[in-house]
Amino acid sequence: MAESMEMLERRIDALRAEVRRSVVARDGARTRALRAELRTAERVWEQAIAELTDESDSVESSESSESSEQLAGGSLVPVREQVHHALILLSVPAAPRLVAEVHAAFFGGTATSLGANKLTHLRRDEKRSFETAPYARPYYLCSALTAEHLAPARGLVAVSTWPLERRIVGPLSPRVDFLTAAARLAERAGSVPDGSVATVSRLLWRFATNIPGATSSRSGVAGHDTVDPAVVIRAAEAEREVHADADQAQRASAADRARRQLDNVQQLFGSPLRTLEGKTA
Amino acid sequence: MTSTSIIGTSDGTAQRLAEIRGGVRPTRHNARTIAALTRNPGCARRAVLDGAGVDKQRLAAYIDFPSRFGQSQFALARGNAFEAQVKANGCADLLSLLRERLGLPIPEVAYDDLESVTGRDKESPEVRYARSRALLTRAASGDSGAGTLFDHPLLGLEVAGQRVYLEPDLIAFQHEGRFHVVEIKSFAVVDGQADPSKVSAAAIQAAVYVLAMREMLAESGYDPTIVSHDVVLVCPRDFSNQPTAVLVDVRKQLSVLRRQLGRMTKVDQMLAALPANLSFDLAPDAAGVPTRAPDAIVDALHAVDARYAPDCLAVCELAYFCRNEAKGCTAALGTSAREELGGIERVETALALAHDELAPAEDQAEAAALLRSAARLRAELMAGVGL
Ligand code: SF4
Repeated sequence: MAESMEMLERRIDALRAEVRRSVVARDGARTRALRAELRTAERVWEQAIAELTDESDSVESSESSESSEQLAGGSLVPVREQVHHALILLSVPAAPRLVAEVHAAFFGGTATSLGANKLTHLRRDEKRSFETAPYARPYYLCSALTAEHLAPARGLVAVSTWPLERRIVGPLSPRVDFLTAAARLAERAGSVPDGSVATVSRLLWRFATNIPGATSSRSGVAGHDTVDPAVVIRAAEAEREVHADADQAQRASAADRARRQLDNVQQLFGSPLRTLEGKTA
Repeated sequence: MTSTSIIGTSDGTAQRLAEIRGGVRPTRHNARTIAALTRNPGCARRAVLDGAGVDKQRLAAYIDFPSRFGQSQFALARGNAFEAQVKANGCADLLSLLRERLGLPIPEVAYDDLESVTGRDKESPEVRYARSRALLTRAASGDSGAGTLFDHPLLGLEVAGQRVYLEPDLIAFQHEGRFHVVEIKSFAVVDGQADPSKVSAAAIQAAVYVLAMREMLAESGYDPTIVSHDVVLVCPRDFSNQPTAVLVDVRKQLSVLRRQLGRMTKVDQMLAALPANLSFDLAPDAAGVPTRAPDAIVDALHAVDARYAPDCLAVCELAYFCRNEAKGCTAALGTSAREELGGIERVETALALAHDELAPAEDQAEAAALLRSAARLRAELMAGVGL
């Protein structure tokens, strides 16, 4: 969003200059038109500013404050390693937003807002690094692959050391991975430093509310501090059982295909260029 | 290839529409613009502009009647943020809502993302449409395990003789052999109540998707009514970010939509009635400034009949221009006023009749009596205030 603001500002500047020029040139029609465009742009800009403030207010009240300025000095651990820590904890491919939340909750500090942009960069760097010196690093941050086309799954980060099956997402995988992540968070919830207890239980509560039977509804309304990690684990496992076999089968067959069809780089970063025509489904 | 593909129009028509639009890509139709079309189906001006895919927002700003609504980038961003939240982590929030509200059973969780098929940023609508169609028809055939949630399916609809692709930000979900359209909106539901105008706009929009999905299935030989007329509306609850879901029956919106789309003049007929050199081309010069004078554009607008109504303010980007143009017409006062004043076109006439300064024509007698008594009432009231 910050980028669109900048673009808008540049456009407003350019329009102002144009208006000036056309006034000097006494081109009435053109001036009028330019003024109209300028007004529109300014209105959009004002709206944007208003909404930016709204947004930062709501972010601050709902989560720990996060802003792109803070994160530069916020954590000494490079983003790459933060992402790795969080993913290892979750043990499944995850969206940047969740990665950031998990890192903030379990490893303290301000949440690094891992924008989609940053993620794209990160992944491109990782890919380049892998291409120039394969397996030189202990791990790479890579993509999850879609089961159908073995293309990079939108917005999901994974770790290269995971087995291919785990990095593949079929239709059932988002739910299975969600349940796995919930159980993993619950397992770890008991062993966090005091300062993080509140954030971790809030995160866990958000997962728990979306798993049947995970919020031990003693009084009907479970607050975040009443979420019992053991209950979450049990509930998550119970639902995971339901989907696990079918999901595993889909993932395994896609992984076989990937091993046969893709080279090493593609196995990690997906193969965006294939359009597998003639779907067999 | 642009995403508004016009299929099935003859080359001549396409050529003509391109001339009217100027050398730019047509603006995209979406459920919102289609829903808006049904709000004022009699307006030829909008039919021409929309048919040709003219950027009305830009046009209105250029002739100095900028619209005061429109899809602000930033309002969209807020909507998208809520949508992302509802769909995060494999639609976790949405799944629990659907389980609560519609009794979706636990095993139904399959999620297919139809926005990205091959992982490329820009995929042609044909690829995405084909994939949506393949998955949805497979689900319609009753194939077990054919999917539960279909995110961002790309649908097609015939609008005024053109085939347009619709790109809903929505999920179609299948349960017990029926599809439901899910519409995610970021306006709040407070104490179970939401702004009725927003709900009704969302309902029309959802109805557009229902219709498009029904057509897609019907074309493939399936029973279209397996797409439910109950849509699931997901909104934030009580100013929190917690989503809540309600079922909205869109049968009424569907029938309005069907009737209006059917009635909508065919592009070819419409084009035949227009001046041959009509164009809204805003071709920019090297400095990015449109080369045609605003007056020329205004003249072009005048060449196509409009049918302004106050409703336009909510649905059409040209509303401020048309309202200005319609100043002094009784029609601009709204449909109810227009009906009461049947046969009286101008506001001055109405005023003169009210003040007995003009003898009513035969067919105006009734309206004139009404106006006179209204004027009398008003005078009495004003006198009362004066005391
Ligand atoms: S604002 Fe003008 S162009 Fe738009 S629908 Fe109303 S009358 Fe037609």
